[in-house]
Amino acid sequence: MTADLSRLLNALGLVAVDTVLVLALADQLWFRDLPCPICILQRAGFIAAGFGIALNLIFGPRPSHYGLAILGAVVGGIMSADQVLHYIVPGSGSYGNAIFGLHLYTWALIMFVAIVVGCGVMLLFDRQYEPSGPIPLRQVTLPILAVALLALLAVANVVSTLAICGVGLCPETPGGYLIFNENLGLAQVKAP
Amino acid sequence: MMSLPFLLFACGLAAGWTSRREAAMGFWVAGVLVLLVLFRLHATDVLNLGL
Repeated sequence: MTADLSRLLNALGLVAVDTVLVLALADQLWFRDLPCPICILQRAGFIAAGFGIALNLIFGPRPSHYGLAILGAVVGGIMSADQVLHYIVPGSGSYGNAIFGLHLYTWALIMFVAIVVGCGVMLLFDRQYEPSGPIPLRQVTLPILAVALLALLAVANVVSTLAICGVGLCPETPGGYLIFNENLGLAQVKAP
Repeated sequence: MMSLPFLLFACGLAAGWTSRREAAMGFWVAGVLVLLVLFRLHATDVLNLGL
């Protein structure tokens, strides 16, 4: 695998991570499905995993960057697995909306496993680490956009989490946006 | 407090963007450590499983 192909695959992988985070924010804002505390931490897990892929795009592919992505995905996967196990017994309920029959924490677990497998496969190809020549502008557009979007989503989640939880720990079942309470009428957002 | 991991990852991405790789990785490590602590604080329920 050449460095160019590696860059393209890393960019596509980061776009996939960005898409997950955009969909989570859309579900929160559009469908008023407030995230639970562990759900918020899973978002951070996606950013931790995407961080390693972003470093691959900024500095070039390195095994240590794949290591960060794998470790971030493992941390996020532990949180997703914990939440899946909470609701795995029939009759024990669920949290939030289901999408295509699976809840977001189940999709998150699948995605975290996919990230680990994807990085493991990418690590198999040594030619990507060889130095390459100057990179044409058209090959850096997608990586730049993907990294910029990840940074933007990290900042958006800072704001969102502050809005839901304030400066302390989150309530176990958030009933609304704490900082907007009785200001914008968003305090009546339905509790999932 | 719950927004701290996101803030650390955002700082790390900013450090990476400005070509400070070691600082970026430092922010990543700090972010993951905070993430694990927050998970420990929130994951307090006993799983209803008979393993």
